[in-house]
Amino acid sequence: MNIIEIENLTYSYPAAASPILRDISLQVEEGDFLAIVGNNGCGKSTFCKTLNGLIPHFITGDFAGTVKVGGLDTLKSDVGTLACKAGYVYQDFENQIVRPTVLDDASYACLNYAMADYKERGREALALCGLEGREEDYIWQLSGGQTHLLALAGAVSLRPEILILDEPIVQLDPSHADRIYGVLRKLNEQYGKTIIVIEHHTEYIADYCKHVMLMRDGGIAWKLPTAEALRRVEELLACNIFPPQVTLAAHRMRREGRLPKEQPLPTTVAEGREAFRRLRYRAVQAATGKTADAEHASAAQAAEATHVSAAQAAEATHASAAQAAGKDVDAGHVSAALAEGGTAGKAGSFGESAVRFEDVSLSYRSVKGEDRLVFDHLNLSVRRGEKVALIGSNGAGKSTLMKLLAGLLKPGAGEIFLNGESIQRKKTEQLSRQISLVYQNPEEMFIKDTIEADIAYAMQVRHLENCRVRTGELLERFRLTELRDRDGRLLSGGQMRRAGLGIGIGLNPGILLLDEPTANLDIATRKEIMRTLSDMKDVTETVMIATHDMQLVCEWAERIVVLCQGKVVADGTRDEIFGNRAVTERVGIRPPEIFTMGRALHGDALCYTIDEFIQSFQEA
Amino acid sequence: MQTKTKKKLSENILDKFSIDFLRNQVLKNAYGNDDTVIAALDPRILLVWYLFLGLVPWFVNNLWFLMGCFLLVLVTTILARVAGLVLLLFGVGVFTQTGYLLVVSLFFGGNASTVVPLLILTLKVAVCSLASVTVFSGLDPDRLSNGLMWYGCPERLSFSISYAYRVLPMLMEEFQNILLSYRMRGNPPEHESFRGKVKYLIYQVRIVMHAFYPLMLNTAKRSRTTVEALEIKGYRYAAVNKSVKKMKLSTLKVTYNDLLFLAVSFLWIALSILASTLF
Repeated sequence: MNIIEIENLTYSYPAAASPILRDISLQVEEGDFLAIVGNNGCGKSTFCKTLNGLIPHFITGDFAGTVKVGGLDTLKSDVGTLACKAGYVYQDFENQIVRPTVLDDASYACLNYAMADYKERGREALALCGLEGREEDYIWQLSGGQTHLLALAGAVSLRPEILILDEPIVQLDPSHADRIYGVLRKLNEQYGKTIIVIEHHTEYIADYCKHVMLMRDGGIAWKLPTAEALRRVEELLACNIFPPQVTLAAHRMRREGRLPKEQPLPTTVAEGREAFRRLRYRAVQAATGKTADAEHASAAQAAEATHVSAAQAAEATHASAAQAAGKDVDAGHVSAALAEGGTAGKAGSFGESAVRFEDVSLSYRSVKGEDRLVFDHLNLSVRRGEKVALIGSNGAGKSTLMKLLAGLLKPGAGEIFLNGESIQRKKTEQLSRQISLVYQNPEEMFIKDTIEADIAYAMQVRHLENCRVRTGELLERFRLTELRDRDGRLLSGGQMRRAGLGIGIGLNPGILLLDEPTANLDIATRKEIMRTLSDMKDVTETVMIATHDMQLVCEWAERIVVLCQGKVVADGTRDEIFGNRAVTERVGIRPPEIFTMGRALHGDALCYTIDEFIQSFQEA
Repeated sequence: MQTKTKKKLSENILDKFSIDFLRNQVLKNAYGNDDTVIAALDPRILLVWYLFLGLVPWFVNNLWFLMGCFLLVLVTTILARVAGLVLLLFGVGVFTQTGYLLVVSLFFGGNASTVVPLLILTLKVAVCSLASVTVFSGLDPDRLSNGLMWYGCPERLSFSISYAYRVLPMLMEEFQNILLSYRMRGNPPEHESFRGKVKYLIYQVRIVMHAFYPLMLNTAKRSRTTVEALEIKGYRYAAVNKSVKKMKLSTLKVTYNDLLFLAVSFLWIALSILASTLF
């Protein structure tokens, strides 16, 4: 039976020149788990809002055609009736939560629709979403993942037959993302709900969804079973959708004639095991040599760009050469994660310390009861010129560490040194020449009404002579010249990030801190930002990135620091971290899919990118 | 000594007295004391109690009666475990209203005839303020708004009260981050000399004002989702549906404790009146 039937739906927003949805006809079966994919701005979210009646009842505009949801014509029913048929969870779900306590918010809709058993419905929904025991908690006590589950519970409480989620996992770390999809699968399989997700993470689509629908220019290109859909690699890539890495690797191998044409492309690691079984692993040595060279070049360039003295430049080059050499020694064999003292010892005499934490402790005030301890005697040092990735689950203290460094928070005990000097007695403003922090949420960095003014601000208030020229250069570098007069808030996600980066390196700081630079971005934009970050390597010196994005970590970082419960639990190169199962399991790090694929085929394989995978696995 | 205080004054505005601290105090005030005696009382009873102590002292000039009221609200304020910041504001408020006059008149040879009227005025202000503090910060916002709704205040007002408390922490956090953006990129005037310190203070106040503009825009952007979500959650339906109101108010119950509270307050007030007629 079809739960959604759409015929010739065409819709345009008020005052829009052309329709955003064009002639859509679609049937969705009851109990389906459907993923909607498509380019940015192709009308995915708009389409979903026609299903719960927000369009055309709340958002007006030109509406033609019929939409039937659970047998009801949306034109003839009101939003309230439709809300009981189709629940909706927004991408910015925290704005969807309007009540202060968990149970209150989960049952709020039921109360408003005057259902006598509203409290029971709320409790039931919370239990379904795995939030039992948190009923009386206040919403700010929840983590990001739990907040999302609460938004879902708020929709589930009305017992709708259909649940629609807009980009459910874009803000979450992998373990929380798994939890969300676990809940969705349960709702789908055990409770027979029809689930519709707008999703860019094709790895999750491959694991959980039954059908995939591709939207293009406001129309539906096709709707196919998941495996079949994900194998249409070229069509997806043309729409900026990246199929799972396993599929991409197989696709490339097939093009090169290394896999038989008639064999279907694998979409999951399990399928990949079968598809790639004839390939033999061959360790590739050349790759490490290449990175060493690249680092030589980048250190020299960095020195040039920041105008440090010749002696320092020589030192910096030395340091990274030493590091690279260190990596050569380590490459290939899996060693226990080094304590940070060990790393420092290895190249200690070369690299000058850029950042040093000595026995730093910090706790946050809490509303009730004991203060929450974030860091307990943290020790960490970063040498000049290092490119460090800081990883760990939500709440491990990554952002806090960065705020401490930028002088925005003061440690409760211990001391922090920046380029050898303690920052205890310094004001934040004095540090801004040495260190710069780019927030996770770029909107909070926009303090002027155009991005040009924003980028220029720090230089202007310091009366730098070449302010205008340098602003122009930065705009050019981050491809923002055409957008220079726009307000930062009104830009797209990727543009906002680029503007944020431009603001961050405006004063040419020796140390750049980036908090989740690729979070909340769709995959195409994420790739673009990753490219930008790689391009930036030659103009920045010491860079530290806090992130959940393991592809970014693998492709960008030279050193990885793992935080867990306020302590550094592992520190080393990517081989040392990802090669060490004890560490990855303890902290819940998920390496990129291609790495898992490589490991599944051969225990020693350490391939972080599709290129490395293709090089490492050859025909027998 | 003097320079030290000055230094503290200029640095404290953004450093010690941070937004983080404010946010914490607001949350503490709203939700941190939901297990106190006062918080457990029925909001309707408390509102009646407040109506009496908020109005009557203005019309009575008897020192004994006012002292009695003052002691009563002092006890309830302690019972409500009100957050420190609110008490500080109360202290500063009362002092700047009338308290300073009292001190000044004592200083310049005032005697009982000048002190008593001022003391009476100060007590009146203090009783009203402390009664408000007890009710509005001892009750959590949801119970308070339910109580108001029972007395016929429009549903929109009561929703606004609890929603304001819901978004306030978010807004403050965002405001803090925007201020930090200014701190990271700004270039404040040096503040070693006295002139510098004054300039620095002015600079800080200006930054705080400037930071409102991005805050407003960011909030406007977010509220789009909130408005749609409220529509889906049936907020508009509830506003016109009488039975929803009934369901919301069905959680209110007058208990033995409420009556006890009323009785004790009544007895105490009666005693003060008695005292005022005797002396």
